[in-house]
Amino acid sequence: MRIKLTSIMVDDQDRGLRFYTEVLGFRKKHDIPVGEYRWITVTSPEGPDDLELALEPNANPAGKTFQDAMFAQGIPVAAFEVTDIAGEFARLTAKGVAFTRQPLKAGPVTLAVFADTCGNLIQLYQPA
Amino acid sequence: MLLRHEGFRRLCLARDLLREQREPSPSIADLAAEVRISPFHFIRQFEAVFGVTPHQFRIQTRLDAAKHLLATGHYSVTDVCMEVGFSSLGSFSALFARRVGEPPSVYRRRVRALVQVPGTLPTVLTPGCLTLMCQLPSSAFLPSVRSFQEA
Repeated sequence: MRIKLTSIMVDDQDRGLRFYTEVLGFRKKHDIPVGEYRWITVTSPEGPDDLELALEPNANPAGKTFQDAMFAQGIPVAAFEVTDIAGEFARLTAKGVAFTRQPLKAGPVTLAVFADTCGNLIQLYQPA
Repeated sequence: MLLRHEGFRRLCLARDLLREQREPSPSIADLAAEVRISPFHFIRQFEAVFGVTPHQFRIQTRLDAAKHLLATGHYSVTDVCMEVGFSSLGSFSALFARRVGEPPSVYRRRVRALVQVPGTLPTVLTPGCLTLMCQLPSSAFLPSVRSFQEA
């Protein structure tokens, strides 16, 4: 049993794909129409090509409720590891990304939190 | 941009207010005043956080409500248009077609043809996402380069 796929809900798949590729720098792997929606996955250029993040539609009302609650409470729903969090903070801020937490040392990591324009807060972390 | 807790909270409140779709619908300036952010900063911050301006968000909320009503009720396109706050059937239909990809009458006919419990959305419109992969071609699962290290 292998962990090769994880997913995050986005409230707009077009905007999600744009943000996760053009702003965050992930690469589109799949973008396949499936009925009303699309099967969209991205990979990291810094990692293996077969470790995918799916950008799910949040059409399920229970999904929306969950997503809204986490967002309003300031809870990130995913975390990505970086090697230079100060650099990422500067780069993303210059691209207009809104952070709710600037880089802050917290135990074994330095972390920061931003909004992904699709209904989620995302955490970045740099191990010490 | 860096938002402090209070500023973030106010933007979330603004989003909730926009979703309420109050009648008469408040202007963007009214909303900014209600959440106590200047209109200039309100629009910029809202867009940075939510990906669309407050105005665009309101339009999208209305279109989502329209899709829901078209799919679950027995309303005509005209009724739905008025119900969600558009005053012109022509501009509603054109906007709907542009954003959704088909005119409201076509959308209504298509989704209401799906077997459903009256008043609820057909399950195909609210997928459990990972189950979407059931409808992919098997070529989507071809093994790829194992890892960039092995390549």
